[in-house]
Amino acid sequence: MKVELYGAQSMRLFVLLRCALLLVVVAGRVPAAGDPDVDPPLASLPPVPVPPDNPITQEKAELGKLLFFDTRLTGDASLSCGDCHDPKKGWGSNQPISRGYPGAIHWRNSHTAVNSGYLGKLFWQGSSKSLETQAPTANRGAVAGNGERDVMQSRLRQTPHYIRKFKEIFGTERPVLGDAWQAIATFERAMLSQRDTPLDRYLEGDEDALSEEAVAGLKLFQGKANCIECHNGPLLSDEKYYNLGVPRPPEWESTGLNTITFRWENYAKGLPEKGYREWKDDAGLFYTTKRPDDIGKHRTQPLRYLAFTPPYMHAGQFFSLEEVIDFYNDGGGNNEFTDGSHGINTKTPILKPLDLTDEEKEALVIFLDEISGDEIKMPVPEVPLYEAMPDVPGLTQAKAKRIGLEMYLSNREGGGQ
Amino acid sequence: MVVTTSRTVAAWRRGGFAIGVATAALSVLVMPGTGADAAGRAVANASGAVASAADYPAIGALPAGVMPKAAMVAMGRRLFFDTRISGDAGLSCATCHDPQQGFTRQADKNDKPMSLSDAYPGTKHFRNTPTLINVRYKADFADAGWGWDGHMGANLNDVIRDQITETIIMNMDMRLMHERMKQDPQYVRMCEENFNGECSSGRGREALVAFLETLVSRDAPFDTGRVTAAAARGRTLFEGKAGCIRCHNGPYFSDGQPHNTGVPENLAVFMEPLRHIGFRAVLSNHGVPQADIWRRDVGYFLVSKNYRDVGKFITPSLRELKYTAPYMHNGVIATLDAVVEFYDGGGGHDDPLARELSPLGLAADEKKDLVSFLESLSSLEPVTVEPVEIPEKYEKIENWVKVHN
Repeated sequence: MKVELYGAQSMRLFVLLRCALLLVVVAGRVPAAGDPDVDPPLASLPPVPVPPDNPITQEKAELGKLLFFDTRLTGDASLSCGDCHDPKKGWGSNQPISRGYPGAIHWRNSHTAVNSGYLGKLFWQGSSKSLETQAPTANRGAVAGNGERDVMQSRLRQTPHYIRKFKEIFGTERPVLGDAWQAIATFERAMLSQRDTPLDRYLEGDEDALSEEAVAGLKLFQGKANCIECHNGPLLSDEKYYNLGVPRPPEWESTGLNTITFRWENYAKGLPEKGYREWKDDAGLFYTTKRPDDIGKHRTQPLRYLAFTPPYMHAGQFFSLEEVIDFYNDGGGNNEFTDGSHGINTKTPILKPLDLTDEEKEALVIFLDEISGDEIKMPVPEVPLYEAMPDVPGLTQAKAKRIGLEMYLSNREGGGQ
Repeated sequence: MVVTTSRTVAAWRRGGFAIGVATAALSVLVMPGTGADAAGRAVANASGAVASAADYPAIGALPAGVMPKAAMVAMGRRLFFDTRISGDAGLSCATCHDPQQGFTRQADKNDKPMSLSDAYPGTKHFRNTPTLINVRYKADFADAGWGWDGHMGANLNDVIRDQITETIIMNMDMRLMHERMKQDPQYVRMCEENFNGECSSGRGREALVAFLETLVSRDAPFDTGRVTAAAARGRTLFEGKAGCIRCHNGPYFSDGQPHNTGVPENLAVFMEPLRHIGFRAVLSNHGVPQADIWRRDVGYFLVSKNYRDVGKFITPSLRELKYTAPYMHNGVIATLDAVVEFYDGGGGHDDPLARELSPLGLAADEKKDLVSFLESLSSLEPVTVEPVEIPEKYEKIENWVKVHN
């Protein structure tokens, strides 16, 4: 049964691919020389995909927004999703390496939450399959949220506003932690999807939506600069994983706190001992797949909302788009998973020196800048307060007797302790 | 099911240390509480209100234990004061087990008395911090686990792990603990010295055990024999009319069993949201049914899930009481005088209440004598240690790229 299903899926995929190929050929796009695959064309963003088990409703999105900014969902209740995915910092962080949990620091750059609903997998190594699983992973990780389920759920249950809202929306007597992640995912899908950018309008036929320079940049993007090779489709990402030779961030060596997290990640992600001892760089997709070919590969970033989300790359190695373009113009870089230090070279063959002129580089920057659209601004909501709950609504005599709360009940009914 | 009476257990205990350890292991098979209740009741019924000391493990001096190596103790002591072994580096063992306060926490930083412990930031605790003094003896004299409700491990190393990883205590990832230790040149040196190898969280815990093993009563009048006449009279009451020995027996002054003495609830637990959150979290974490509707501390029920055990707490040791007020699992009794009053009245109200309890009819002088005896179980000077300075920043590792992690 399982095998059959898998077969049917593969077949469907195959047919789809054939159709796509046909379309591309009909449209007259010819793969660039040395191009390993056919690139889906850039396209305007479709409506955000919604999982059938977590439909979008206004109330759920509003609840999710509140929870996104509520510090209750981390270990010591001192930071929220919104601290590393800050609306004022492109719904990400402007630190190269995300601040992480108090007493610790993260080891990667914080992704923007904008358009995260479109991604098939999340995190730089694609370790989460949905927004619904991304949120708890971030909120529980020891250098991220360090929250624990029972504590986080207990906090929700100590908050009358949440008790009411969860009951209205999910129909439960008391908040269930899993529903909080559903609500946060709904918020991100419903309120942080950005479909009306100059790029979308341009691709839908509004030729004035982009400036002349930006259009020149677009041509380079799809042509000489060959960005389209990986940054393609409506998201401007193929959602595949590559080693570009981005250099190791200096912080891992220069600051003890960062060194600790670097080692911890390698240890906790199950690197074999030799790797733990000797590797000094982020092995990326390898942590998920454990395939040697995947060492040092990270997911292609979508390029939407880019102007609001510096710094760039998986550990924020570049502060500006200019630096990024210079990096690609040089054919990428080198790190210890490209230079053979460990007998490993996974650098993508796609990158070649581009020989761009200064004007061409500038046109690319202008293009990337213009397609970022308008900033999604949102005032941070005030989160509801805890309240004391000395009373137990609905406690019956029979139940109280069974669990030894009889005395409590007679005291409460007698008008006090 | 293996059932053993507490009398057999007591006899084994009197047999010595090695057997004591074996007993602790065997007692896992004993139905919690039942054997002890049965034996205790038989004695009480046979002799009315008066206990017979001979029926219980004798009180006496604690056996001298082997002291661990100084270098190991130094490493443990440093970890004890190091906030970096908690998740957000916000608190150390010493935060709640303050060496200036009998290794408990009796007053906050503004000197306001505390009946309940602090906890990991973002939560508060719903119990009173027990002292760590003499904790090395606990396994030898107590059958149940550590903690007021006995929910923690079978040995000190496990208990330390429980406390470091417990989400409302230190909320720490053990792997992060060893990586933090490896970034601190002092720990690197200490691990090299003590273990001839690199730091690990397990080695850190071993060192913490060594440090805790040094926290023992010193020169308590009861142990040296230099007791006042009042304390001597108090002992007679303790072993006789007052019947304290029924539960507080053996050199550790604890039978290690759970009992319900009817201590009133500390309502702060349900009036302060952060405490109620800590309470809910621990209950649901340990699989207590209906964790949201409890409005009393479930006690040993947390472990046994037997409703008869609701409100039972493990008998605490009575050593070092002078320095470890307030008393009871929730700190609701502030002074030893008040504790004696409480038991003189037959304890508190609950059903079922410990069968060992009944009104004692102690005269005012007798109560004073009893308090004198209790005070004689404390060291002449408070047991304490000097704190260790912990650097605020981690050092970088020279030439990190070239050296092995």
